[in-house]
Amino acid sequence: MSEHAVIESGARVSTQPRSLGVSILYQAMRTTEFKVGAVIFIGLILLSVAAPSLLGLSPTKFNVALKFTPPWPVDGWVWPHFFGTDQLGRDLFVRSLIGLRNALMIGIASVIGMFVLGSAIGMLAGYVGGWTSLILMRITDAQMSIPIIILAITILGVSRPTPLTVILVFILAGWPGYARVARSVAMSERRKEYVRAAKILGASDLRILLIHIAPNILPPIAFVAVLDVARMMIFEAILGFIGIGIQPPTPTFGTIIADGTKYLLNAWWITTIPGLLLALALCSINFMGGALERSRNRVLQGVA
Amino acid sequence: MLFAIDFFVRRLAQGVVILVGVALLIFTLLRVVPGDPVRLMLGPMVSPSVAEETAKELGLRDPIIVQFGRYMSQVLRGDFGRSFVRSAQGGSTGGSRGESTFDASNRAPVIELIATTVPYSLLLAGLAFLISLIIAVPIGVWAGLNAGKWPDRAALYLSSILVSLPNVWLGLVFIFLLSVKTGWLPAIGYQGWTYAILPALVLAVELVPVIIRSLSVSVSANLLEPYVSVGQIRGLTRSRMIAAHVLRNSTIPLLNVLGIQAVGLLLGGLFVVEYLFNYPGMGLLMINAVFQRDFPIIQAIAIFSCAALVGVNILVDFASTTIDRRLQY
Repeated sequence: MSEHAVIESGARVSTQPRSLGVSILYQAMRTTEFKVGAVIFIGLILLSVAAPSLLGLSPTKFNVALKFTPPWPVDGWVWPHFFGTDQLGRDLFVRSLIGLRNALMIGIASVIGMFVLGSAIGMLAGYVGGWTSLILMRITDAQMSIPIIILAITILGVSRPTPLTVILVFILAGWPGYARVARSVAMSERRKEYVRAAKILGASDLRILLIHIAPNILPPIAFVAVLDVARMMIFEAILGFIGIGIQPPTPTFGTIIADGTKYLLNAWWITTIPGLLLALALCSINFMGGALERSRNRVLQGVA
Repeated sequence: MLFAIDFFVRRLAQGVVILVGVALLIFTLLRVVPGDPVRLMLGPMVSPSVAEETAKELGLRDPIIVQFGRYMSQVLRGDFGRSFVRSAQGGSTGGSRGESTFDASNRAPVIELIATTVPYSLLLAGLAFLISLIIAVPIGVWAGLNAGKWPDRAALYLSSILVSLPNVWLGLVFIFLLSVKTGWLPAIGYQGWTYAILPALVLAVELVPVIIRSLSVSVSANLLEPYVSVGQIRGLTRSRMIAAHVLRNSTIPLLNVLGIQAVGLLLGGLFVVEYLFNYPGMGLLMINAVFQRDFPIIQAIAIFSCAALVGVNILVDFASTTIDRRLQY
């Protein structure tokens, strides 16, 4: 969803002299993998908005008479459950789409959170330098040597998991990476001419940071953050699978897949369908994110 | 030699600081977050006074910083404490004891629990590394030698797709297809090293894209370096140039990637995959400990895995400075 908005704004500004961010976007959008990814992604979003009401299906309404119906080409499938039903006769496709919506919401919210927090702290440390910077680096060192899974299962396993706590844990685990990158870029930016010029003209440090440095260094970091959305969605599924993600009855990929493991032998589709849908969504995000990352590298190398 | 000693002393000192930081973080989080371990140890039927007494006996009501100081002084002596839940005879005793007070001497030492599980995890991780290198190195080198042509693009798409496969789901697919349907490989539990193959495959799928990307980028970048064309003028054949120089120089970034990203990925993946396959390693111990609020085990495993990560990082940096002395530490 956020990608969509970014694409539109990029297209509008492209006639003006291009800034760094816009030219990266422009380059990325011309690649095949970005287009493929965007088409799949937008298609999935539309589907998750439209399909439930079009087919007249509900993600939580169950119908025990229709339990364990297989997906479409297999004998015994029932209209309109093209993708089969689960152990309570709930439509798998609709449940997976709702799961996709939840996963995307968590992924995007947590990446925005870690991006804002990490780059704010990192920029500040890089700009101020000295002890602040050094302490920050040691903190990020320590935190980056804890695998995100350990942090997540420690906190969520012991406390009560809600969507908010899941997002907070992801932010807590993810911000150091952004802080490091923002710090190193801000450090090199601090010495550049335009910053010194702004200082001579009497701009305050906060103004320099927010109005001059941030627009220059943040877009490249933000583009790579798209890849992190996919990573967070995988983590969300993992947490749900272990049973420490968002709790039932809210459908998430993790809980649907975990439910399906009990019926793996006679109803393989309960785990397969949501997994395939998740993999497809992640693939589309990774295609777009990968294209953005590579065009960022190209543009940055060309500029430098 | 002097260089090596200086290097290790500096880096180990930094590593210890990091480890203490991590320990403090996990320790505090466990105690700040709601969820009383005493309730789980003694079961729901215990009276509040007994619960309170046990908590005091275990030192759980002291200020966090006091608890942490006590814990660290124990750890320095090599004592990671005893499990809250698991008895020394094996099996957990939580919840079934009714009114009886907590028997502190009968609990399993954490260090022993970890020592019995670590070999399994090491076997799994080693196998995963091996499989991923066997798959990824040829593809990565091939893609790097043909940068911009179709092998490069194919490798790119392949790694994008592999990154998108959630490991929990992939594990289930493997269990279903390779174990349940065909019976080729055993899947659940552990009765021999063949039980490690399927989980290792799942872990390898996570590692392969990282290795491919790093290798193809560094090989293609190295091919553009002046030394390659100079070597051709010196009369070296292209294949010899690649084998002797390009690949050697490309291993430095690969080492870094393996050390930092891959070990981190592997450690994270171990927890999930071991839980999924019910594989008796450190990850399964950790997840069970989390569910039982077994603080000493959680703390010890967090510290151990961070120590592993920090240690690998130091070794990797040492190895890359010995390969290329221009790198400064």
